[in-house]
Amino acid sequence: MKLAVYAGLIFGLVPLQTTVLRYLSVAGVGPDLCLVAACLVGFLGGEIEGLLVGLALGFAQDLFSAGTLWLNVMTKGAIGLVAGLVGRHVTNATPATLLKALVSLSLLSGLTFLALVRPEAGWAGYWAAAYGILLPETAFNTAVGAGVYWLIAGRMRRAQVVQGGLAGFVR
Amino acid sequence: MFRTTAGTRRGLWLFVVLLLFLVFLLPKQSRGLLRSIGQPLAQIVSLPLNALSSVDRSLRDAWERYVALHHVADENRRLQRELQQLRGRNVELQEMVVASQRLAKLLEFKARLKPGTVAAQVIGRDSTNWYRSVVLNKGERDGIRVEMGVMTSDGVVGRVVKATPYSSVVLLITDPNNAVTGLIQRTREEGIVEGTAEGRARLKYIPLLSTVRAGDVVVTSGLTGGFPRGLAIGTITRIDKEEDDLFQVAEIVPEADSHKYEEVLVITDPRPLGEGEAESAASPGEKTP
Repeated sequence: MKLAVYAGLIFGLVPLQTTVLRYLSVAGVGPDLCLVAACLVGFLGGEIEGLLVGLALGFAQDLFSAGTLWLNVMTKGAIGLVAGLVGRHVTNATPATLLKALVSLSLLSGLTFLALVRPEAGWAGYWAAAYGILLPETAFNTAVGAGVYWLIAGRMRRAQVVQGGLAGFVR
Repeated sequence: MFRTTAGTRRGLWLFVVLLLFLVFLLPKQSRGLLRSIGQPLAQIVSLPLNALSSVDRSLRDAWERYVALHHVADENRRLQRELQQLRGRNVELQEMVVASQRLAKLLEFKARLKPGTVAAQVIGRDSTNWYRSVVLNKGERDGIRVEMGVMTSDGVVGRVVKATPYSSVVLLITDPNNAVTGLIQRTREEGIVEGTAEGRARLKYIPLLSTVRAGDVVVTSGLTGGFPRGLAIGTITRIDKEEDDLFQVAEIVPEADSHKYEEVLVITDPRPLGEGEAESAASPGEKTP
């Protein structure tokens, strides 16, 4: 089941990102679904799953982006790995921890892109990209990540309630 | 799903180190490796991408038809109210004139570039927010290669930066990472056209003594590969001339609107029609225009 979900993410998120997501975007900037997915998979599934899914998502994303063929592979892989480490090593990992991780990783990933994609933009260009792309993207990612986590957590809670109820009934 | 034993973790770190080593120390080899691994993945991802794109297109068409129907209904009501049959006939005739003009323009344009172009549909935008690019539904199987120019009947769109068997990625002329040699049509001065962060373009390296002014049209110079000479790039709207600078910089509004194109032409052979024939017909010492 998990494997099917991961395969669905890898083959489905990039088409979604390149086609219908533009209706959600504001001034040409929308959420980076692959980043959110890598972070959530890492946080919930651990660093190995986060790394592998992040690498695959980044690779698929790189194939349909104008950038070099490793930029997203590296950033998404790193995001999955770090989110996994955060989820495992932080005691009492709460939804707030995930959101903090998502904001930090989004900003770090954006800064990496800014430095590598626009190396000669100058300070004015950096500020314009920071205000025009980096910050709105981070806000979008956090909002989408929070929404998806809320959905997953709700589903997990319902599953626990059902399991608890069944266990009580059997006892 | 994966058990995190010490062995697995060691293997994972080894994999990461190997990947970093490949990417940073052997960039050329790693790019080739990634490309060969990526081709089958791109083929698989192309399927849902095309499906989603056609769903998106049909939904948009349905919506546009719905809006158009509303317009037609409004127009009908107005015409019935006014009872002016002749006026309606006039509108029809005018429509036909506009359509025939448009078709004639397109035919002339196609005739000029027919042998060296491949028509493709835009099926998506860049998968990140950091590049201004579009994804096309044609790729290497249709003869599309990296560095080929892309245009519409309005003008230059961009150039192909990635090509897989079934799709390709076009970096738009408005992306800051794109550069094309341009020529000011009136003054015949050349410069480099680059994208800007604001989604426009600018012409750099215009000589200080140039008489360039707002409203001048910039076309491709044909010096760099991918584009024939004389394709419209955009119109100059502003000129920046600093005292200490060696050159002037002009801001350009691109002719082709990046938000509107759905079909584009990929230039597989940048020579205009007849040039090849002219070359073969001309004597060895003769230069063809």
